[in-house]
Amino acid sequence: MGNVIECNNLTHYYGKKMVYENLNIHVREGSILGLLGKNGSGKTTTINILNGFLQPRSGECLIYGENSQHLSPATKSRIGILIEGHIQYAFMNIHQIEKFYAGFYPNWKPAPYWELMSRLKVTPTQKISTMSCGQRSQVALGLILAQNPDLLILDDFSMGLDPGYRRLFIDYLREYAKSEYKTIFATSHIIQDMERLIDEVLIMDYNRVLEQCPLADFMGSFKRFDFELENDLLNLKREPFVRNLEMVKNKVELYTYESKEFVQNFLENHGVGHKWFRQVKMGLEDAFIGLTGKY
Amino acid sequence: MWKSIVFKEWLKIRWFLIAFTLFGIVVNGYLFLKVQHGFTFQGGTSFWYNILFMRYHYFDYFRYFPLLEGLVIALAQYFPETVHKRIKLTFHLPLKENNVLLMMQAFGTSCLLFSYLLLLLVFISLGSLYFPSEMVYDAIVSVIPWFLAGFVAYFFVALIVLEPSWLYRFLYSLIAGFFVNVYLKSSLISAYGPAIPVLSLLTILMSIALLFPAYRFRKGEM
Amino acid sequence: MEKISRMILVLVAILILAIVLPMLYWMAFEKPIKKSVVYYSCIDEDFFIQRSGTPATFEDCKGNKYPREKFEQKTPMMHFQQLMVSGKMPDTIRGKAIDMREIVRNRSFERIKPEDIYCPKPKLFPMFESQSGRASLELPNDYFRITWRVEFLDAGTNKISEEKSQLFSAALYHFGFTFPATLIEGIPTTRKSCDEGYLIVDSSSQLFHVKMIKGKPYVKKVDLPDGLKFKHISCVDFKDKKYYAYLISEENAIYILTQDEYKLIKFPVTGYNAENCELKIYSDLFNYNVTVEDEGHTDVIILDKEYKKVVSYHESWPLVSERTEGKIFGSLFPFELSMENPNSIYINFYWKGSGGMGWIILNLLLVAVHFLILRLRKAKKKGHAVDLAFVAIAGIYGFLSVHLFQNKFFE
Repeated sequence: MGNVIECNNLTHYYGKKMVYENLNIHVREGSILGLLGKNGSGKTTTINILNGFLQPRSGECLIYGENSQHLSPATKSRIGILIEGHIQYAFMNIHQIEKFYAGFYPNWKPAPYWELMSRLKVTPTQKISTMSCGQRSQVALGLILAQNPDLLILDDFSMGLDPGYRRLFIDYLREYAKSEYKTIFATSHIIQDMERLIDEVLIMDYNRVLEQCPLADFMGSFKRFDFELENDLLNLKREPFVRNLEMVKNKVELYTYESKEFVQNFLENHGVGHKWFRQVKMGLEDAFIGLTGKY
Repeated sequence: MWKSIVFKEWLKIRWFLIAFTLFGIVVNGYLFLKVQHGFTFQGGTSFWYNILFMRYHYFDYFRYFPLLEGLVIALAQYFPETVHKRIKLTFHLPLKENNVLLMMQAFGTSCLLFSYLLLLLVFISLGSLYFPSEMVYDAIVSVIPWFLAGFVAYFFVALIVLEPSWLYRFLYSLIAGFFVNVYLKSSLISAYGPAIPVLSLLTILMSIALLFPAYRFRKGEM
Repeated sequence: MEKISRMILVLVAILILAIVLPMLYWMAFEKPIKKSVVYYSCIDEDFFIQRSGTPATFEDCKGNKYPREKFEQKTPMMHFQQLMVSGKMPDTIRGKAIDMREIVRNRSFERIKPEDIYCPKPKLFPMFESQSGRASLELPNDYFRITWRVEFLDAGTNKISEEKSQLFSAALYHFGFTFPATLIEGIPTTRKSCDEGYLIVDSSSQLFHVKMIKGKPYVKKVDLPDGLKFKHISCVDFKDKKYYAYLISEENAIYILTQDEYKLIKFPVTGYNAENCELKIYSDLFNYNVTVEDEGHTDVIILDKEYKKVVSYHESWPLVSERTEGKIFGSLFPFELSMENPNSIYINFYWKGSGGMGWIILNLLLVAVHFLILRLRKAKKKGHAVDLAFVAIAGIYGFLSVHLFQNKFFE
């Protein structure tokens, strides 16, 4: 069970502005990995490099052992991509687009595509350009399922979709990935969607990877503790165990990998007066913000 | 796989191609209607005389038509690819990127060639009704650069549309404008004769020019 | 493949810049060349030169200036109308009594420019009726061509008139004509004093005179010396009715063909190159004035009426490449391209060297600049060897082109 995607020492600049340096990413076969990061942290850059639309300043990305800048046609047929905005050839209708793509993939499976299309309330000759965002996403999803790729690279699969479509997407994708042992590499700006889909997380922040591990591990180890300070003159931010600290007046949110005991001991050992100390359960979005900071 | 490519390209250009070919036939018809009128009122002798010795250019109307057709077909074919960067889908197809582009280019060029040959055939057929083979041949020599200009316009529009940077698009457009001009200079009938071999070679070479800006796009050039 | 694609674009850009940049340069800096017109005075038996300007000035070979009236008096054959009006026309010149009608009848002028020779020629001509008995000529309803035979085509129906075609074909065949014709020259207009048909060169370089008299073909084969081949024939319609045409041979010799016994007389003129010289032949009662002019010099050769050389005049002026604007051009641009040429009607790729060597310095400078740019970009030299070659050879055109299409390839 090797690495489907392996990025080694990836470095990229936009002009003089560094995006990241010596980034390393690996995605195992069969995993559903979500790439989380704030705007400008390099998510789109990474997706573009993976898809072969950007040459990194140095370093390489390997997909199935091939450099992503020079993928062979055989490897490309194993990869399904979703472009941000569910972009498709909008001048075609759903019949034409299926006929078009079927010609490229010998293992084309029309059944899942038509199953999805049957739920779509469109006329047979309706051009994709006249469909709503959600309907377009359904077409894009259907095409990906019909292509039956081993690796899916999805750039912001939630973009422009209402909750119903987003749920549809996630349900289908997860079902597809798990039943056929597929690999997914996805980004989305709606972290709750990611939480439902992924089982491995990769969190990027400016210039570096903050975390790459199974989602369960991350959610299990990264914690949030809330408490109130008796006096508000305190600088806990500098402490190494504090990943992040939010303070409004004397109400503190502390984010750390350490255990509850550790934190409480620290506070007591340093004579920090506090009350209402409790661990707060987090969703992925909370954890993400906690790790990367609110602003 | 090429069948799918042909299918997609055909969907994009079919109406434009048909419309322009029909329009071209109509323009040809109009041209020779004027000739017919000239024959009726001046007489054939006078009409031939004006062409042979008075430098009358009876088909100059047609000069920019192939250029326009090439331009429009190229826009119809390549513009939809770049809206929302849809060309990414094309590059992701399980084929070598250059091969996909060359297939698209080859199809568009073939369609254009078919259209032009049809129009040329109409032109020659109608011309042969009124003029002897020498004058028809001279006319063909005169229109060939215009058809070549149509192909050049097609190749240039493809590469300009695919170029990711707006600055370079502008600069390429300038070059394209001057280059196309080389094919369309005002001239006497059949004056272009000696230049046709080199012009044809340049046109053929330009057919692969779009690979360069496409490569720049794939490397993330802005 | 992408590299080849870029190479092609660079070459096209070099081509375009080689056309556009010189065109813009000349549009900005070109200056007119003040050419002179050289006359020969039959009275003084010497040359008079009219120099352009406002007003024009007139001088003799020694540089003495003459007012306009004096100049006109010196050249009565040219200015007889003015002299008649001012009453200054002499009664005798060189012992010969002056008859106005004789002057007019013996005046003729023919100009042959390179673009008259190097241009697309029609292949169909109207065969006029030479002796119709009518005061003016009429355009016939048919046109003839000479391919594997003579064919007359009716313009109204676009069909061949078989009888007439066979008649003329047989006549030419009888005189040993080798089909097809390679050159057909005449005066295909009704605006001439009379019709003398056409002078036709066949595929064996033989020369024939063909016309139609009362509907029947008239053919005469002109005897040519061995090896004489003509590349241009300029048929004339002079009042003295002595000559059919001026002819230019492949070796650039000038001939005149007389109507009387079809005598071919060679003009003792050298230095004429039909490809780039303009030829002007002015003839009057006493002399022929043959002027050969190109962009750097004018040669005027005066012949007597027995076609013997009397005297000649030569004047040259700096070529464009020797003038200031030309020298600056020569230090900027290695060459220039143009689709048009003043010496030809044909559209083609006309290449012209810049006429200097100064551009080599600029080229080397640009190569150095390009090298520097490559160093600043930390680019690998190997991939840029061809680019540097382009800059070295095509100078500023190459430099701009290789930067227009950036040489940025990744492995």
